[in-house]
Amino acid sequence: MPKPQFDVLIIGSGHSGGMAANILTQKGLSCLMLDAGPEVDLAKNRVTKQPWDLPFRGMNKPGRLPHVVQANEFNANQWVDEKEVPYTHDPAKPYNWVRVRFLGGRSLFWGRQSFRMSDWEFKAADIDGGGDNWPISHADLDPFYARTEAILRVSGRKEGKPHFPDGNFLDADYGPDSTTVKKITDIANARGYLVSKIRAANGRNGLASSTNLLLPDAVATGKLQIVPNAIVREITVDKNTGRANGANFVDRHSREELHVKAKVVVLAAGSLESTRLLLNSGLANSSGMLGRYVMDQLYGVQVVASVPEARGGNAPEGMMGGTALLPRFKNLKKGEKNSFIKGYGMLIASGGGPTPGYFKEYGEELQKKLDLHAGACMTASIYGERVPRYENRVTINKAVTDAWGIPVLHVDVKDTQNEYNMAKDAADTAEDMLKSAGWDILSKTDKFHPPGYSIHEVGSCRMGDNPKTSVLNKWNQSHDMKNLFVVDGGCFVTCGWQNSTLTIMALAMRASEYLADQMKSRAI
Amino acid sequence: MRTLAAAPAVPAALVPTALVPAAVISEQAAQAQTPAARPAGAPVANGKRDAVGEPVARFFTQSQLSALRRLSDLFMPPMNGNPGALEAHVPEFLDFYVGQSPAEHQHLYRSGLDLLNTRATKQFGKPFASLDAKQADAIIKPMMELVPWEFELPKDPAARFIAAANNEIRTATRNSQEWYAATVAAGRRPVGAQQYFFPVDPIYKG
Repeated sequence: MPKPQFDVLIIGSGHSGGMAANILTQKGLSCLMLDAGPEVDLAKNRVTKQPWDLPFRGMNKPGRLPHVVQANEFNANQWVDEKEVPYTHDPAKPYNWVRVRFLGGRSLFWGRQSFRMSDWEFKAADIDGGGDNWPISHADLDPFYARTEAILRVSGRKEGKPHFPDGNFLDADYGPDSTTVKKITDIANARGYLVSKIRAANGRNGLASSTNLLLPDAVATGKLQIVPNAIVREITVDKNTGRANGANFVDRHSREELHVKAKVVVLAAGSLESTRLLLNSGLANSSGMLGRYVMDQLYGVQVVASVPEARGGNAPEGMMGGTALLPRFKNLKKGEKNSFIKGYGMLIASGGGPTPGYFKEYGEELQKKLDLHAGACMTASIYGERVPRYENRVTINKAVTDAWGIPVLHVDVKDTQNEYNMAKDAADTAEDMLKSAGWDILSKTDKFHPPGYSIHEVGSCRMGDNPKTSVLNKWNQSHDMKNLFVVDGGCFVTCGWQNSTLTIMALAMRASEYLADQMKSRAI
Repeated sequence: MRTLAAAPAVPAALVPTALVPAAVISEQAAQAQTPAARPAGAPVANGKRDAVGEPVARFFTQSQLSALRRLSDLFMPPMNGNPGALEAHVPEFLDFYVGQSPAEHQHLYRSGLDLLNTRATKQFGKPFASLDAKQADAIIKPMMELVPWEFELPKDPAARFIAAANNEIRTATRNSQEWYAATVAAGRRPVGAQQYFFPVDPIYKG
């Protein structure tokens, strides 16, 4: 029996692939979705356990996931096994690539913070010369942001500030601020810093995933087939037309090799996996930019202060609790002088406690200190924007293959003085604000995690108007091949301080509508 | 118990077989073979590893383990009605945990425990396990460094060992079944339960 030719092959099923499937099927296009992982039933695959009921008392099998700082023994099975799908890097340039391979991908587990990027990010080159401008602005993406926010059911507080664009929010009841949050808000406001609130995707029934918000509607059209456990080895090209015509994939269990046919290929495997696939296929790289400008956010800088009046469990009702979010507040004005370019957001949380390493004590003396400050701490942490750099890149390491014989990525990404200066400024600024509230600093660090840790890796496949300096055009379409699209975070030109999911989804929606229109008008 | 209640008042062995209708005999035989109706293949294992077995230390040498026991008791003594590290079998657990760890972590512990013994012998003429609290403090305190960021332990091997051991002894104690039981017994809400994600559809590795 002849196998079907689909209108569109979508590779990857997370928020970007799910959005592509959702839009394209509603436009009447027949779609096939392949995902490298199995389908999970969260109700069946999870159960509440006590740490002592696990072999390593909740401390995880040592060395199992050396690059996944987020892994513990409870969630260890949800991350990609680094032995099964390895990647390489110079030991002096650590990179934490944090991956999930399930139907729905990381959309099953994401933190749901949903901030729009602004023209301070889209037009970064005009502001600070760091990196290039995107070929689009916030105005281009605004309608797609609004529709994506409706799908995710984002709640947020409107601020009317262009560097922190408001969205299509559900009403959110943040309640009255605690007195400590109010105090730090006043201090930040007095310095001219906007203080807002977390903007979070509520989703439905506690889940804001591709599998519950995007894929069910797509399947209901009768236009989508989803095949899990299908690991795409390479995109295939028609020798006569020079266009992509499908993909070869390997069955995850049996390792049987199969080929599927499609008129258009949409990559949505996650920035670095999509780039790996293009590199392994030898496609879309006439610019030589494929794999370059890998970015993510700088996380880890932290300052912890203790509120004297709240110690020993003596905080009166309403003193502790809640958070203050400071959207990027440095380098907003052109010509503003700092030791770094770009900026960082800051989250100040009220009500935490210290960790043992803050004190040179042990045993009962340590416990007394921990108890004294428990619930009395203010913790400032940051979301820092890394500068896009040509040198920060991924390539194929032909000497190493994954469990299915597919060559792996070599990651060559490092931080520069701008990141170190930004981290130092953030730690100093946080310390200064917390101190001026009359609180005692327990701990301050300007150290931060290696690149990749934020799980917001973007770039490596960036968009632009110039085919010589970018991989994709402003519609997420390959400059080299009209029927090849990349709709995940690979297209980012700058990474912003903002969590990337909302922007990825809005871009995927916009690209998918363009693709459907192009197919309808037979331009593709 | 239902099968017993349904059994005839007169024990079957006392009734001459010929006097009992065949149907009754076959019913009794069926009852004897199936004491409780169960779905085919239903699980029967009902024991817990930790409830039946004592951990056996296999990784550390005797002198290292003795030093680890002393250190565990100093870092996590019984406090506030909670069990200490020794009651929570933490030294034995760490023998297993460190034994399963990458070589770097194994070396950190072995050399750290050896260092405690070396310094104890030099300063007090006896192994670390035999020191009183004040003597032990004179060994431990100079080895300690502040750890402002929990993700980066001190570079100095002695300080690194102390920081790692303090974290792991504390966590292993607080995550123990003994800690949980004491918390529940005291009427407090136990912390630590989380969603455990099962291995999904294990991968064929050929």
